[in-house]
Amino acid sequence: MGNKLIKWLDERLAITTLWRVLMAEYYLPKNINWLWSSGVLTILVFVILVVSGIFVLMYYKPDAKLAFDSVNKTIMMDVSFGWVFRHVHAVGASIMFLVLFIHMGRGIYYGSYKAPREILWVTGFILFVLMSATAFTGYLLPWGQMSYWAAQTITTLFSKIPVIGPDLVIWIRGNYIVEDATLTRFFALHVTLLPALIVVFTVIHLYALRIVGSNNEDGIPMTKEEKKEKGIPFWPVFISKEFFVMSVFLFFFFYLVFFNYKFAMDPINFEPANYLQTPPHIYPEWYFLSFYEVLRGFFFSETLGLIGFVLSMVIPLFLPWLDTSPYPFISAKHRPLFRIAFWVFVADFVALTILGKLPPTGLFAWLGFIASLVYFGFFLALPIISKIEKKQAASGGVR
Amino acid sequence: MAEEKVSRRDFLLYAMGGWAAVGLGGVLYAMYKTWEPLPEVKAAGIVRFDLSQVQPGQLKVVQWRGKPVFVLRRTPDMGSCENRTVANEYTVVVGICTHLGCIPNWEVDKKIFKCPCHGGEFDACGVNIFGPPPKPLEIPPFKLEGTTIVLGETGPEYEKMMKG
Amino acid sequence: MKELKILLVIVVIVGITYWGIEPLAHSIMHKHIEEAIEKYNLPDYKFSDLGPAPAISGDAAQGKKNFQMFCASCHGLKADGIPAPMDPKTAAASFGVVPPDLSNVASFTAENFLYHFIKDPARASEFKKISMPAMGLDDKQIMDIIAYLKSTAKKIHGAELFKEACGRCHGAKYQKIYADTPADALKKYLGKVPPDLSIIMKAKGEHYLVAFINKPQALLPGTSMPRVGLNEEATEDLMKYLDEISDPHKEQRKKVGLIVLAYMLVMIGLTYAWKKKIWRNIH
Repeated sequence: MGNKLIKWLDERLAITTLWRVLMAEYYLPKNINWLWSSGVLTILVFVILVVSGIFVLMYYKPDAKLAFDSVNKTIMMDVSFGWVFRHVHAVGASIMFLVLFIHMGRGIYYGSYKAPREILWVTGFILFVLMSATAFTGYLLPWGQMSYWAAQTITTLFSKIPVIGPDLVIWIRGNYIVEDATLTRFFALHVTLLPALIVVFTVIHLYALRIVGSNNEDGIPMTKEEKKEKGIPFWPVFISKEFFVMSVFLFFFFYLVFFNYKFAMDPINFEPANYLQTPPHIYPEWYFLSFYEVLRGFFFSETLGLIGFVLSMVIPLFLPWLDTSPYPFISAKHRPLFRIAFWVFVADFVALTILGKLPPTGLFAWLGFIASLVYFGFFLALPIISKIEKKQAASGGVR
Repeated sequence: MAEEKVSRRDFLLYAMGGWAAVGLGGVLYAMYKTWEPLPEVKAAGIVRFDLSQVQPGQLKVVQWRGKPVFVLRRTPDMGSCENRTVANEYTVVVGICTHLGCIPNWEVDKKIFKCPCHGGEFDACGVNIFGPPPKPLEIPPFKLEGTTIVLGETGPEYEKMMKG
Repeated sequence: MKELKILLVIVVIVGITYWGIEPLAHSIMHKHIEEAIEKYNLPDYKFSDLGPAPAISGDAAQGKKNFQMFCASCHGLKADGIPAPMDPKTAAASFGVVPPDLSNVASFTAENFLYHFIKDPARASEFKKISMPAMGLDDKQIMDIIAYLKSTAKKIHGAELFKEACGRCHGAKYQKIYADTPADALKKYLGKVPPDLSIIMKAKGEHYLVAFINKPQALLPGTSMPRVGLNEEATEDLMKYLDEISDPHKEQRKKVGLIVLAYMLVMIGLTYAWKKKIWRNIH
């Protein structure tokens, strides 16, 4: 019976071939660690976000008068298990960025952005930006004080663009301040266009991955045949590890959802939006703090801060062309200079994130400035490091 | 040896799949629960109405769960029907024609409910007497608390009526 | 081993970040609040800045007479059959806020606060615009009134306490409780409509609320919230109530959470066993 069905489907959809190509005979290198599971984790979290999102969407009301109560009363109190879906959605959004940062950090450390994987990096970074836009638009929807003022300040940034800025910001908001029109258009973007784009780019990202294959810890280029010989098949070997990593991750995730969710739901956001009263401290969610700190880091010049802010979100896109050193200088494991730069960058990113939440005064302002410079310093150091490594490679100084 | 290994692996795989199905079941249960009517909707499904405010011969319409409920205080000339009478003299029926769901009108001079859609007629007790309606007007679940009728809860009077 | 080492690195990085953006930032941003709490030793249920009430034992019968003479033109006392002198709307229009019914006030207000409040409302409440004037009563008269108020007061809890202690200015609309005073009158009197308290516990937390209610001016200088002199028992009761209404699914969350975590533990075991099985011949 089962076999008959499979045969019937196979004649029409070639499912056994598909299974072979995608799963059983897709090979990964053996020298990879659990960080290579982070990609599947992002897909898992995305699915969790879509499903929980659909269920909060069923009771959410995108109207400035109704939004706050529809979230905090209807969903959180009245709907059976409504609070579960809301907690999952809020914590999921936060954890998505944790997983994304780990996934991107893995990519940078092991040089997974280098030729021939440039498209992987570029589509991946676009996915990160799209996810940021989704998170930002979604954060406005509960219409709490922090939702409101985060949207207000970030949209205000557009007004600093020369000439068109002041008109542009009104156009984006559909009002002189963030108001009902802003809420409904952010809502539309959050639930339709942005998730759709994320799906499209995920498909491209995965397609590109199937073409060039996974990188490995040592950055050794491998042909498909080499991988087949020395590697492990996706099913069942890689996936068995993936399932284990997923379970551990979900344990951690649900612990946060049920017992430690406050980091993802700012207390100030439980006060309804009030456009006549700014909260004493405004800060974005933690995953934007680093970029936000670059904006504030150039505390002596608004223009520089804005340029730095935009650059900080654009410059990683060019990573594959800033760092061009050839094999064996792919993975940080075999690149002492790059390894130092990488860890400085990670420390700097953490510092920026922490500083982003602190009040930008006195010592913190200067620390923010230095940390912002170091952020760009990493990307600017890459061409120099590449040059040195290229020389080493040419002179045969390979370990 | 090799065969045994495969079966062990399969067993674990099936156990894992089964356990995942259990989890999926839990998620589906939570999803199922979210679609239940909200507490306030459920609370609005119970309506209290004081019968004594209806004058003899008068018809009042009460809204209950989005449907009109006819409360008619009958006079002796409207006939009687022991098994469809609430508190000795009232007709309490859902005002929706049992034919195709239109709302019948109360015709005072003839003392009947007449459906404007297909001409079905019901007497003052709500029993179908002419036209296409297949059965009498429905009696909503109710409970009596003194002279107040509680629509949406079942009391002993309603249960007795349903049995009889 | 290598895998665990990587996990450790990630845990350390995430841990530092978490510590930086939660406890550290919190301690720096809310420093002035902690300082104020420490400075005034909040919550101070003795209201030590006001001093004790005079050691005079009041006479409830005389207090009732005083009440009718000095208080009843604005306040009602339903428990003893004294109705409010005007309806809420008129009262709000003339005083800015509906004067409270005083039936139970002595059960949830500290005694020395009550004394000082009657003596000089603006000083005790630390709210200069308060519409109740100092009546110029002497200590004996005041203590008699307090004795009378005590004789009528019964202990109230939860929603009832909320309505009597906070409900003249604040509502909790998710509980269908609305402020006694109309919003526009409050706006005129206080400068803004006081916040709805349905989920205030989630927004502010017990630590802050207890201190704030105890001495509003210390935590939010210039606020229109008067000090109301809640005693310890009433404050705790109120906190319990505010917590319940802001987070009605607390118990369910704990229960479901434990079930889900137990489920995941079993899943971890199963997936680990399967992984072991598959990888046995790989290394």
